[in-house]
Amino acid sequence: MKLARIIEFLISKRSLLAVIMLVLMAALVLADIILPPAYTRFPWEAISGFAAFFGFVACAALIFFSRFLGEWLLYRDEDYYDDHE
Amino acid sequence: MTITELMPFSVLVPLIASLVCALLPGRFWPWAVTLVATITSAVIAAITLPAAAQVTLSYAFGNWPPPIGIEYRVDAANAFVALLVAGMAAVALPWAKKSVDREVPERQGAFYALFLLALSGLLGITLSGDAFNIFVFLEISSLATYGLIAHGSDRRALLASFRYLIMGTVGATFLLIGIGFLYVMTGTLNLADLAERLPEVRDTSTVRAALAFIIVGMGLKLAMLPLHLWLPNAYTYAPSFVTVFLAGTATKVALYVMLRFVFTVFAPDWSFVVLPLSTVLMILAVAGMFAGSWVAMFQPNIKRMLAYSSVAQVGYMVLGVSLVSIVGLTAAFLHLFNHALMKTALFMAVGTVIYQVGSGHLKDFRGLGRTMPWTLTAFALAGLSIIGVPLTAGFVSKWYLIQAALDQGQWFLVVLILITSLMAIVYIWRVIEAAWFQERPGNQPAAGEAPLALLIPTWVLVALNFYFGIDTRLTVGGATAAAEALLGGGMAP
Amino acid sequence: MITSDWIHPSLVLIAGTLVVPLLKGRAMQTWMVLLPLAVLGVLWLAQPGEYGQMAFLGMELVTGRVDDLSMVFGWVFSTVLLIGAIYALHVNDQVQHVAAFLYGASALGVVFAGDLITLYVFWELMVITSVWLIWRRGSEVSFNAGFRYLVIHAVGGVVLLAGIIMFQFETGTTRFDQIDADGPAFWLILAAFMINAAVPPLHAWLTDAYPEATVTGAVFMSALTTKTAVYTLIRGYPGTEMLVWLGAFMTLYGVTFAMLSNDIRRLLSYHIVSQVGYMVAGVGLGTALALSGSASHAFTHILYKALLFMGAGAVIHMTGRSKLSELGGLYRYMPWTFVLYLVGGVSISAFPLFSGYVSKTMIVEAAAVDGRALIWLMLAVASAGTFLSTTLKLPYKTWLGEDSGLRPQEAPWNMLLAMSIAAALCFLIGIFPGLLYALLPEPVDFDAYTMSVFLKEMQLLLFTGLAFCLLLKYVGGGPKISLDVDWLYRRGGPRLISATGTAIVTADRAVRRVALGQLMRLTSHMERKHGRDGKLAKSWPIGSMALWTAIVLAMLLTFGVWR
Repeated sequence: MKLARIIEFLISKRSLLAVIMLVLMAALVLADIILPPAYTRFPWEAISGFAAFFGFVACAALIFFSRFLGEWLLYRDEDYYDDHE
Repeated sequence: MTITELMPFSVLVPLIASLVCALLPGRFWPWAVTLVATITSAVIAAITLPAAAQVTLSYAFGNWPPPIGIEYRVDAANAFVALLVAGMAAVALPWAKKSVDREVPERQGAFYALFLLALSGLLGITLSGDAFNIFVFLEISSLATYGLIAHGSDRRALLASFRYLIMGTVGATFLLIGIGFLYVMTGTLNLADLAERLPEVRDTSTVRAALAFIIVGMGLKLAMLPLHLWLPNAYTYAPSFVTVFLAGTATKVALYVMLRFVFTVFAPDWSFVVLPLSTVLMILAVAGMFAGSWVAMFQPNIKRMLAYSSVAQVGYMVLGVSLVSIVGLTAAFLHLFNHALMKTALFMAVGTVIYQVGSGHLKDFRGLGRTMPWTLTAFALAGLSIIGVPLTAGFVSKWYLIQAALDQGQWFLVVLILITSLMAIVYIWRVIEAAWFQERPGNQPAAGEAPLALLIPTWVLVALNFYFGIDTRLTVGGATAAAEALLGGGMAP
Repeated sequence: MITSDWIHPSLVLIAGTLVVPLLKGRAMQTWMVLLPLAVLGVLWLAQPGEYGQMAFLGMELVTGRVDDLSMVFGWVFSTVLLIGAIYALHVNDQVQHVAAFLYGASALGVVFAGDLITLYVFWELMVITSVWLIWRRGSEVSFNAGFRYLVIHAVGGVVLLAGIIMFQFETGTTRFDQIDADGPAFWLILAAFMINAAVPPLHAWLTDAYPEATVTGAVFMSALTTKTAVYTLIRGYPGTEMLVWLGAFMTLYGVTFAMLSNDIRRLLSYHIVSQVGYMVAGVGLGTALALSGSASHAFTHILYKALLFMGAGAVIHMTGRSKLSELGGLYRYMPWTFVLYLVGGVSISAFPLFSGYVSKTMIVEAAAVDGRALIWLMLAVASAGTFLSTTLKLPYKTWLGEDSGLRPQEAPWNMLLAMSIAAALCFLIGIFPGLLYALLPEPVDFDAYTMSVFLKEMQLLLFTGLAFCLLLKYVGGGPKISLDVDWLYRRGGPRLISATGTAIVTADRAVRRVALGQLMRLTSHMERKHGRDGKLAKSWPIGSMALWTAIVLAMLLTFGVWR
């Protein structure tokens, strides 16, 4: 099981990976700031780093919204449909 | 011998054979004679159809020229029905041997003689061009049918037969009264002659009453709701073979007679005007479609379920008639033919199960899908046809029916047809669910696959259902010719 | 259906399937691989044109219409049949194999159908064959789910047929091109297509049934039914404004409900809804770029969604568990499944170099070119959500996360092989999108690998990942199920029916008591009037038959004689 070892190795280096990832993300935003926007069809396309901000907010919104929806309305016990079928 | 001279033999052969049959002992010879007679009759009917589609054939009995003598007069409409009747009988007979041996073990000579009488009676009704002759043949076939139904092994068969006798006699009497009125007014019994002489006297109450009596009389034999009450019991308790035969033929012939009178004798531009026939037939048809399907969905006895389904299917045919158009009549004739195919196949499959298991109750179908896969698959496939799934014959007739309804802008009829089709899914599904999705209870005997003598005819019919669902030249061609013969040319020579 | 230069691929597949029940063991496995290869061969030989014309009920049927659009779907359907067949090699259940191949044959029949009647026949066949892939799971739950699946599609089929009949009546033709009828025909056919495309609120059959299907059957189902519907929408309803909004709504609906799912294949099923939403939105936009985007997204989607379903299926096959709350820490035992699944994950999330990137960005770009700001934003949120649940949450909770104590083996070789082929294709298309674009009907004027598209997509995805890591403890889940529209017919409908049923029974009883009383009085009146006919009159059925006869006769006579 060589592949399992490789994955294990990667997991053991997860803080390093996280740093690399953060640097990469910073580089992406930086590139977005430096390079002029190719289009401005929508107002936000002129804002540098908008996609990054939007991705973060969208993800957070989805996590909280779906959780709220579940607990407020939709979650049921797993045997909810059992007694009828 | 010309085709015209050959044609009456399709009636005479079974009639004569029945006399022979009644005297034959044992179990093999009556069946064999019946088979030969029936096939001969079917072959003659098959030869007649193409010729009759070209010109109207006329044969005068005993060389007495019509309108005095009895005339056999055949155009596309009755040739089509005659072929259906003789053909279904010929297909059903190979199936009959095993089933009849089981259900009617004794005095088979008499049984088959009755069957041949019923057959020749039905053929006589279709081919005859003489009103009184039609009544005589109607009585012959009806009396023989009562006898056949009474052969059922269940004691209730006697009662069912008795009730059918009462109602059948009422129906035949009504027909006779109608014919009598017509004779009083015109002095003739020949259909073509009647059609010629009626216009002069048709504004009288007598003629109108004649039409009413004939429609109700034939409505009874046709099992048109609400005159259907004899049918479920008769079909349920009759021997399986008799049910198979009747389901494909008897009601169809009654419909033919009704159409012959309404369209040929009284021209449709009169009969649909003087009585609110279109409305009445449409209401009764729709009511029959719904009531029949509805009741069928809850029947525990599968033969009875199919009987109620027949009431619904008769509704489709009457609906086609009530639209009074070529397409509508074509749809009615198509469904007359296709329904015979599918219902015969279904009753054969159920009869096969009864042969193996001894009962036609839904609970006895449980788990049979595994032990009798061929029989139950045949049932399921024929069921697709009755639902009206594309590639089956049932789809073709519903397609025409829907077209006919749309032609008249009757959208709601389309909706009703689709809803009743969904109801058909329900009642067919009940059987499929029991057969494949339920376990066979331990206390019920295990049943193996049926013998080939039963399976092969059943599958032949199932195959025909699919064949006529794809190649529609014969059926649509024949039905269109029949519809045009009735609606267009009348009984032109 | 056969001429010298055209053999219908469905016919090849159906004929080949007839042999399957006769074969066993190695011979069957070899045949299962050869058959899809033969279909690919037949497609290779197919030339554009129309074939297999037949007359039926006075209409001309075209059973084989080969053009670029049908070929795109033909190629990918046959490819996924090959992959699915390899994935199912170890299954020793011929019913499933027969069902899967016939299902594939009917899906191919739909995309090559040149008229609506042929389309309808294959459309129904698709339902009848695919339901066995659910039922063969063999549990009561799957039987019930399959049954609901069947009922919904039966209703859909009736709607489609009604639409086709009206279409034929209105236009006099059954040719299947853009549906330019107005009135009920347009809406009925559209509704039937939308049922199969799983457009909410008509989607619940999918998320209800797919998780209950067999491990191998779900792979075929994820690929075929919804994508044939996308094909029919591209062909019949391009530029229908309503679809833009429905599609964008679908993408969000899917990702939201996926977040609530605990069953791994239900989660993925909601992502079918979400991804098909992109395609539906593309169809609605209706520009050449958008339609190309929809077709190519269907192509890539089939491959990566099959890969995801295969990965999830391998986990279920090896562990017998399907719930996120019962899985975890499997990376040591099923690492290959993990890595191959991740290839599917990054493909669906549209990471550059993987297949989803080259097709999804096309649809998003088409929305931008069309100047639809709100749609663009909705699709962007859905992108984030897709990455969040398929590539972060599901793998995290299955292979990483808390150790569940499960110690399964790695999946069998044939599963891994099938997944590898799918993964390789995802990667190949991601690197050389030209290969895919070349198949499309219209020349593609779009390059996914420009700096601006790349930057935007990478920022969106990586910051979604950041949010996931930071908010991990708030991510919902747990051993729960969530309600969806199917509640209406699983609980709401029955409740309503039993309530109205009680009301009807009560009313009926009251009405009957009155009516029966009247009838009794009437019959006794008749008896008094007509005297006693001995036994005949007393027997109710005959009495009733005679009564009805009298009524009908009287009715006709009144109208006819005494007017």
